[in-house]
Amino acid sequence: MLNLIRKDIALQKKTLIILLLPLFAYLFFGSSTIWIGVLFCIAIIMQGFSMDEKSSSNLLFNSLPYTRKEIVSSKYVGACVFTFLVLATIFMGNLIIHKEMIQLEQLLFTMSIVMLFISFAFPFSYLLNSQYLMIAFAVLFVLYFIIVNMFIPNLNDRIRELVQTALSFDNSLLYLIVVVSVLLIYIVSWMLSIRIYSKKVF
Amino acid sequence: MENIIELQGVNKSFNGFKLQDFTISVKRGFVTGFIGGNGVGKSTTIKLIMNLLQPDSGTVSIFGLDYKNHEKEIKQRIGFVFDENILYENVTLNEMKRIIKPAYKNWDDALFNQYVEKFELPLNKNIKNFSKGMMMKASLTIALSHHAELIIMDEPTSGLDPIFRRELLELLHELMQNGEKTIFFSTHITTDLDRIADYITFIHNGEHIFTKEYYKIEEEYAIVKGETNLLDRDTEREFIAIRKSNYGFEALTGNKQRTEEVFGDAAILEKPTLEDIMLYTKRGKDKYVESHS
Repeated sequence: MLNLIRKDIALQKKTLIILLLPLFAYLFFGSSTIWIGVLFCIAIIMQGFSMDEKSSSNLLFNSLPYTRKEIVSSKYVGACVFTFLVLATIFMGNLIIHKEMIQLEQLLFTMSIVMLFISFAFPFSYLLNSQYLMIAFAVLFVLYFIIVNMFIPNLNDRIRELVQTALSFDNSLLYLIVVVSVLLIYIVSWMLSIRIYSKKVF
Repeated sequence: MENIIELQGVNKSFNGFKLQDFTISVKRGFVTGFIGGNGVGKSTTIKLIMNLLQPDSGTVSIFGLDYKNHEKEIKQRIGFVFDENILYENVTLNEMKRIIKPAYKNWDDALFNQYVEKFELPLNKNIKNFSKGMMMKASLTIALSHHAELIIMDEPTSGLDPIFRRELLELLHELMQNGEKTIFFSTHITTDLDRIADYITFIHNGEHIFTKEYYKIEEEYAIVKGETNLLDRDTEREFIAIRKSNYGFEALTGNKQRTEEVFGDAAILEKPTLEDIMLYTKRGKDKYVESHS
């Protein structure tokens, strides 16, 4: 399984290096670190996922001495590795550019959002295809704009407020609950994906 | 003789296609050619052997092991080539090797380089720029570089020029010299098999028609040619299928000796090609279906 994760990193090496530039640019101009973190994590993880969606790569890796369980698990563990890499880069970048540490809460919050997203996106993509995911997002995006324009004009501010309140909670128990439930959802999604993938026909 | 692949009573149905009570076995240490028309279940069978598909019922055993408990062990010992390119397109062969190598315990870099040299493959060129023949050579190189005992190929010669096809067959022949390996490959270019196959497995519409030693096919089957007036209800039963024309008939028999006895000198018996056998079997089956429906 480690081989498969190493393969994903090797294949995305070039993309990762290219992405460093916009990442630092965003950091330099002081965009929200949570937003950048979520964006880059998801983009990188989903790009890695879609690379192996073609029936030819499924044929290849299923014919090599790997089990389907390992193939799916490598994507889930790999997603954590990529998230860690991105967050570590942002952390370092912030330290260098702004000479300040990112709060642990912010990192945890970013990680939770990425993991929640993956928990939904992976089983969905195994069942259908990640292209449909993009379509689903386009639809959601349009819906979001309609809602913002017609019903709740200050939706963005509200979300921002909500995030701020969530981050300002000083209750470590609350954090623990959130992290544990995200982890649980992640694991359930992982098991679900294994089930879906083991029934797939190439 | 030991069987290296065994499918027992396998049923698999999907998308309007069915393998029914399908039983085949492949002998260790020989080359078995797997023939049949398009869409009769060759690729499905190969996917079942590779555990890319699981049977609805029945058993698949490779090296005497089942996939449920020994999946990785089995796949360690198989080298595979598919008719489509399954390598990543945006990487070089060298990078591809680095991806695949850690999967196999017995990967042999020296052997890999030997094939790369033999096939004159560029190590640092993106695989998407490879020609069809080069892609085939690259797949083959990867399939052969981990000392696999069993080599499974799905239509390896399709779309290749005659020269490379000949080279490929020579290479397979060389591989067989040390007697340790088994090759199972599907093809619909039946002339490929003349040079190399020890056994022929023939399937039609998801049904196993026969597995025979190649030389026995020539002993058992024959193309019969004669005047149409030789045919009547009884003699027609001798044949798998018959083609009649104004000048006479041409038919395939699966029991050459008996046909010789029945017709004597009145008919001419000729050596059939595998294509003849495939064609007449298909016609015979279709006719059978017609007369029973």
